[in-house]
Formats: sequence, structure tokens, C-alpha cells
Amino acid sequence: MLQPKLKSKVRCTDLDIGEVTRVVLDPLSHEISHIVVSMNGSGERQVAMGQVQDVTDDAVQLRAPSADIRALPLFKREDYVTTREVEISHLEDNIHVTPGEVLVPLPDLEKDVKRRTFFMNFTHAIGFLIGLPIAYPILRFLMQPMYTNFDNQWLKVGNVSKIKQEDVGVQFKYKKSVREVYMPEYEVEKNVWILWATPELLEKVYQGKDAEFRDAKGKTIWTNKKDIPYVAFSGKCPHLGCGFKWRQHKTLGQVFLCPCHLSIYDAGGKVLDGPAPRSLDALPLKVSADGEIEIIDMEFKAGMKSQIRIV
Amino acid sequence: MDSKHVSSATIPDHQSSTAEKVIAFLDERLGLKEIQAKMLNEPIPGGSRWAYVFGSVLLFIFIMQAVTGTLLMFYYVPTTDHAYDSTQYIIHNVDYGWFLLSYHFWGSSAMVVCLVAHMSQVFLWGAYKKPRELLWLVGLALFGIVITFGFTGYLLPWDQRAFWATLVGVEILDKTPIIGDFIARFLKGGASPGQMTLSRFFVLHVMILPSALMALAGLHLFLFRVAAPAGPFKGTKEEIKAKTDYFFPRQIWKDIVGMAFVFIGICALALWEPVVLLDKATPDPGEYHPEPEWYFLFYFQLLRLKLFAGQFGQFFGAVALPVAFMILLIALPFFDKDPERNIFKRPIALIAWIATMVVIVLFTIAAIINREFLD
Repeated sequence: MLQPKLKSKVRCTDLDIGEVTRVVLDPLSHEISHIVVSMNGSGERQVAMGQVQDVTDDAVQLRAPSADIRALPLFKREDYVTTREVEISHLEDNIHVTPGEVLVPLPDLEKDVKRRTFFMNFTHAIGFLIGLPIAYPILRFLMQPMYTNFDNQWLKVGNVSKIKQEDVGVQFKYKKSVREVYMPEYEVEKNVWILWATPELLEKVYQGKDAEFRDAKGKTIWTNKKDIPYVAFSGKCPHLGCGFKWRQHKTLGQVFLCPCHLSIYDAGGKVLDGPAPRSLDALPLKVSADGEIEIIDMEFKAGMKSQIRIV
Repeated sequence: MDSKHVSSATIPDHQSSTAEKVIAFLDERLGLKEIQAKMLNEPIPGGSRWAYVFGSVLLFIFIMQAVTGTLLMFYYVPTTDHAYDSTQYIIHNVDYGWFLLSYHFWGSSAMVVCLVAHMSQVFLWGAYKKPRELLWLVGLALFGIVITFGFTGYLLPWDQRAFWATLVGVEILDKTPIIGDFIARFLKGGASPGQMTLSRFFVLHVMILPSALMALAGLHLFLFRVAAPAGPFKGTKEEIKAKTDYFFPRQIWKDIVGMAFVFIGICALALWEPVVLLDKATPDPGEYHPEPEWYFLFYFQLLRLKLFAGQFGQFFGAVALPVAFMILLIALPFFDKDPERNIFKRPIALIAWIATMVVIVLFTIAAIINREFLD
């Protein structure tokens, strides 16, 4: 069956009762549920589609006699909103109630444009040509401070006289000068844990070998001799970079404990418990004749089995 | 069709006021009345509900975050030597500075809470299913943006909490295979956190994320309007149709009451628990025990597990697990094609949701209990 059109004549079984003035859509099924009939000026009536027997191009045939339709209550416009005033998506998609198409003429210049696809692609190409040359400068602009050379200068951190007991972690604070981009040099406070180690502990840390520190090119910067009885550990936890502390543990005795994710290390830096993937990072250390300790400040990537230097 | 039917048929003796003339002027040019009608007359299948307030409430919280955030920028200076002091100045010297900062702070928590409620609801109601897949995907992107907002926001005061939470957060991102190192350096603006980090987080927090959120929230609303609300999962078409009403007035009324409750809640928290800064950030934590914001606590506790120990465990916990979780959420509407929306007939979904919530609650509690053992 066709869809009823606006202005179509409406016929009952006995006579014509006017024309279709409006159609009512069901918001759920998106189908026409009712037509509104003019009743030749004697008050509109709303007729359910069930009453419609047949729809032709210009007429709607109802099943009922005109008296039945006239007996229906008057159509109440205020119970409805137009489809322009309500948000029901795709409501009108399959409804064709307009009597014919509504058209707008093409502008003269549009009438014989060939190569529309060419113009479309050309537009995209020019867009790319604008975007591409600035993509790399933007990337370089943002990457400028990301990679810097390592700073291998020796930093004074304090005197060994601060350490009273062997194999006990003692925190030394020191200042490191930092220069970021355009800014004047400024100092940040860092910390390092230093132990006065017994030979047993030294054996644990060095396992009989001197520890070498190399730069990016593989050239040796410094060697920690295995018989120097002092060990320095970077203050950065190798798990995820928090600052750890020297603490009394209920069962493990005195240990390095990181309060973030609870990694626990013994005095030699070995992981005793918790999620850390490697031992604490020993740093290059030298002790002068009068007990002044110097270190090279290094930071290694956390969360890796191997040491990857980043600072 | 004739839409002017009900328009007040010009009553002869009626002199229109200036306001009416202005409205008529604008309406003629912009079609305001039609837009307004279209905005307000959106059918809500099954009728308005208190359960539907979260989307509007989230929009409200975001607007308030934008307002308070903009105000904070009048005094805040994003440099390592001034960020802390300017934040302290806002708290202690600027009239109502403590209040606006605390509102902004608690507003972010409220946002996370409402977001989880909103997402849970969509999940439990099965509202992510066809034809609302795109709506769900854009929602997930918005979720990512809100989390990044939180993450970039709390570096800005440059106190110890800020510094350490950021440091650990960036180390976690660093564990991403191949691009992790680049991402971490990119965010930090170097190998270790400093001024470049603060600048980058500041730009992200006040420029990039707000514009991204506005654009995506607009898209989210558009997609919502195109797909129409999902409505209840119970009831026949006729029952749902019988209870249907428009967005205005009942749902808007519920939304505004919801907003008022959230507003009062945030204000109350700001009054009772105003923001207090810890010491200024330094690369030495001293006696401070680093801890993230409460809504990240469960994850923080999760990473303490032996299961996630070692390099592989860490990759598994810090990267693979959250990425897998997000991929699962993204793929959800594409593999869960069963049109059944009733959560009581979707046992796997129900169990998965309960399990996720139980893990979050238990691990948050565990993290809180763990605090005592550290002191």
C-alpha cells in the first residue's frame, strides 16, 4: 500500500469527507500511525491507519461510513509537536508525505563542473602539503630538551665521619646544579645512601670484581675498586623511582625499604622482597684521604633488569 | 507541515515588549525557538529517571572545573620556583583562594566518581550495544581524558605529593615497549623532572585536554542524540511508550537537582577538607611516603603485588594489564553482539563488573591499611 499523501482526497464508504491535512508518525516504529482529515471544514478528525482500506496516488479510501468518522473526537493539535520541534533520530527517513519533491536550482557555475574528484583530491593534497612541512618542525620543537648529555662531574656529598657503624645505610644529601633550557643554573637537592661496608658486604656487592662505569661510547669513566670499604647507592628505587629509606623490618632486620611499592633490599642492595626487578644502583664513589666522599650523580631507568643510564 | 499553527495568533491589542522584540529578532535570524524545542523535546524511553543524571552532572562538573581552573590561573605561575609559592599564596592570601582551589581539587574527585558511575550504568544497562558503539567509544576517550586531567593536574602545585606521583606515573609510562622511553622523555621534557615537565603538564592541563574534552563531549552528545537514549531494559514497547516523556521538564529537573547535590557535596568537602600542600617538591622525599590520588590507590597497591615483580611482572602490571583492560572495553560492543540488555540475563557481564569493583575497593582498602605499617 502507498503512503497517504497530503492533500489526498479522503473517501468513506458512502461519500468524500475532505482531504488529508496532516499525518501523525509513531515515534517508535517510525511509521505513519494516523492521518488527519479536514472533514470539509467541520472540524478535523484523526483517523488511525487501521481504518484505511486503500491508498491511491491522490485518494485514501476508508473502511468506515462517514458517520463513524464524524463521531470521532475532534483532532487536538496541542497534543502534538512537529517533527522540526522534536529530536527523534531518523524519524522521517522512510516517510514520504510531501506531495512531490522540493527543489533548489544549481548555481550556473556548478552546472558543468567536470573533474569533481580531481578537485577533491587536489584539495586534500594541498592540505597535506601545508601540514607536512610543519609536522617535523613541531616534533623537533617539542623534542628539543628531551635528550641531553650525561654530566660526569664529581660531587662532594659529605664526610665519612658521619657514618658510625658498619653495614648501616646512611643518607647523604647533596646539591646538584642543573641547567634547563634558557634558565640560569639552579640547584636541586638529591640524596645518596652510603655504607661503610664490612669485607663480607663488599664481597656481596662486588662479587670479587671491580665495578666499571662507562659512558655512552663505552669508554671507562671510573672504576670502583672492590676493596674500598665504602659503597654508594643512588637514592632512586630501581622499581619505579621513589625514594627509599633505611628501616628496621620485623623479620628481615635492618633493610632498605621503599615506601611506594614496598620493595625491600639488604645492605648490599640485593632485593629481599617486593616487586623490584634489580638490585640498588651503586654509584661511582671516591673517598679522599681526609674522608670527603665524592660521587658521580647517575640515574638509571627504573623497572628494568639491566641498568640503563638516563641521567 | 505547518509549524506556525500554535504560534500566538497575533492578538490585536497586544503590544510586544522590548524583550519579546529582541527574541523575535534573534529567532528570525537563528531559528532559536526551533533549536530550543529540538533540544528540550527529546523523548526519553520509559520516562525520566534519577539514574540518568550522571551525564549532565559530569558536564556541570567540567564547566565548574573550567571556571575554577581559569580563576586559579590568575595567580598561579607555572614555574618550578614559583608554582609552589603561588599556590600557597592562593591558599593563604587570596580571598577565597583556598575555597576555589579546594573546589577544583574535590571537583576532580567528583568527576572521577561520577564518571565511574556513568560508565558502570552504561555497562550494566547494556547501553553500549548496537547502535550505540560509537557513543561508547567516544565515552572511553573522554574517560582517558579525565584520567589524564587528574594526572597532569596534581603536578601543578609542585609539592612533594605532586612531584612523586608524577615521577612514578611517568616511570610507569616508560615501561611501554618501544615508545615508552620517548613518551617518558617527551612528558618530562628531558631525563629527569623539572621546569620542562611542569611546562608540559601545564599546557596539557589548561589547553590541550580542555579543548579535547570539549570537542569529544560535543561529539558524545551529538552521537547520543543521533542514537537516542537506550531506555530501560525491562518492559514491552507499549509499557515503555506509555511512560515516555521529554527531556524537559522532568529529566532536566532531576538533572538540576543532581547538580545541586554534587555542588553542595563538593563545597562541603572543600570546606571540611581544604587543600593543604605538603613541602615543596624536591628529588629527595625525606620522611614523605609517596602516594597517588585516592582514585589511583588501588592501582598503586596492585603494583605492590609479587605477581608484578621483576621486569616482566612490572611490564605486565604497569602496561599490559591496563592496556588489555582498555582494549577489552573498546572491543566490548563489537564482540558482545547479543541484543539482550537485561543485566540479570548477562551473567558474565555482571560478574565481571562486580569483580572489577571488588578489586578496586579491596585494593584501595589494602593501600590505606598499608599506610600504618609505613609510619
